[in-house]
Amino acid sequence: MPSVSNAHKTNEIAVSVRGLGLTYTTAIDRRPTLKARVKSLGRGSKHTRVIRALDNVNLDVEYGQVLGVIGTNGAGKSSMMRVIAGIIPPSQGRIEVFGSVSTLLALGVGFNPSMSGRDNVFLGGLAAGMSRDEIESHFQEIADFSELGEAIDAPMRTYSSGMFSRLAFSVAATVRPDILIVDEALSTGDAHFKEKSLNRIKELRSDDRALILVSHAMATLRDVCNDVAWLHKGKLVQRGAPDATIDAYQEFLQVGKSAAIDEDV
Amino acid sequence: MSAPLQVYEPFKAGLPPLIQYWKSLWSRRTFISEYSRSELREQHFDSAFGQLWLVLNPLLLSAVYFLLIIIIGGSSDSTRYAHLTATLFLFYLIANSLTGGVKSITAGQRLILNTAFPRIMLPISAVVIAVFKFLPTLVIFVIIRSVLGLPFSWQMLWAFPVLLIAMLLALGLAITISCINVYFRDIASFLPYLTRTLLYLSPILYEASSLKPQLKAIEVLNPLFPILDSWSRAVVHGQAPHTSSLLAGLAWAIGVFLIGTYFFLSREREFAVRL
Repeated sequence: MPSVSNAHKTNEIAVSVRGLGLTYTTAIDRRPTLKARVKSLGRGSKHTRVIRALDNVNLDVEYGQVLGVIGTNGAGKSSMMRVIAGIIPPSQGRIEVFGSVSTLLALGVGFNPSMSGRDNVFLGGLAAGMSRDEIESHFQEIADFSELGEAIDAPMRTYSSGMFSRLAFSVAATVRPDILIVDEALSTGDAHFKEKSLNRIKELRSDDRALILVSHAMATLRDVCNDVAWLHKGKLVQRGAPDATIDAYQEFLQVGKSAAIDEDV
Repeated sequence: MSAPLQVYEPFKAGLPPLIQYWKSLWSRRTFISEYSRSELREQHFDSAFGQLWLVLNPLLLSAVYFLLIIIIGGSSDSTRYAHLTATLFLFYLIANSLTGGVKSITAGQRLILNTAFPRIMLPISAVVIAVFKFLPTLVIFVIIRSVLGLPFSWQMLWAFPVLLIAMLLALGLAITISCINVYFRDIASFLPYLTRTLLYLSPILYEASSLKPQLKAIEVLNPLFPILDSWSRAVVHGQAPHTSSLLAGLAWAIGVFLIGTYFFLSREREFAVRL
């Protein structure tokens, strides 16, 4: 079925989110251990916290749309991206995704740091459900775009954080998915790569593709997006034209057009 | 609408839709082979010296334990040594699955946070890696056996079903422990104690038949006991294993696998938010 990509028409639904709720339990400790649990036995202290990340969110994304998602920290932006990507199943509601999805969430590739960048790209692609041949055919482009040169065959533990994110962005932006989700990954790398990745995003804007960008860089979103959704505390507050929504959000933050928010790409 | 449609809905009864889960697992089988290959390559087990190292460790261990047996007394003939090596090698298959599996989920953090895939792939890969590490030791055992001059017989073919049972048990254990490690990250440091205890409770340093009647309880409570006993009977003594041992081993393996897999699948949803 992958051959049917690029068969989407503008205004066809790409992602449909209906009544989405997400509640999960997470450990309070960064690294929960049996030792800590045993030592605090009988204290009655709590080890987990229930987080209500999303609450009755309804959202449609159409092909041809570039949707920016904004909101304060903890608004549920990343959670929503993970649910759309199928990484976390929802607690309530229904999500329908029409087309192939590529995700570039906060962390990116490189799950085994002792393996080379090449191995990690292959493993990441295979885990995402691509075939060996598919990855093979994209690999040169990924390597070129990341500008890693010979470092692509070095273990990833030798990479700097910039190199990590460059490789991650290259993978996500090269496989040409129907739907691309980018979560705060544009603000990594040096100025040169930032500009390069922003240009790539602009290139990827097309009528038969849907892009969802999560970012705190308001200037970028005004520039790139044709639609913006504002999430606050797990609820969708406003959805509409970029300028109007971002203005409302910034007014809400009472920071106006301060440099701090506009600066970052 | 010709595009592939994905629907995400809340899980029913805490479990993902199993048919769909199995399909997406099967379609990613190349990941498992590729992952094991890269992992073995990275640990240099694809080279001749790497493989030598792989067999050297259990071989030296078996020599040390044989020394122990001679000193504390007991029969120390060639059958005894063959029994010790054969069972120790199989024990290492299970122990390596546990040590490889325990961190498979926590180490796969980046992948889990970024990609939708059946998480059970990671502990399965760990067991596949352990099996690949086990294969060269099997060759060594056949050589040892020939050198010791033990007779070969057709009954030795029982080794294959026993091996399959052992692998199923290893898989069940790896799946279970990888999931527990998400909740208690220090399980890995308890693991050496666990494997060492299992080693002594299993018929490796002694033969199953020489177990004191008062200690029969460990035969019933240790899942490895019937499996290692059957293994030794088949590959060392060239006899058919007891049906009761085979069935007990199979029951343990299926039980651990099913319970572990259920536990894993019902918890898998949380991994991305727990890591």
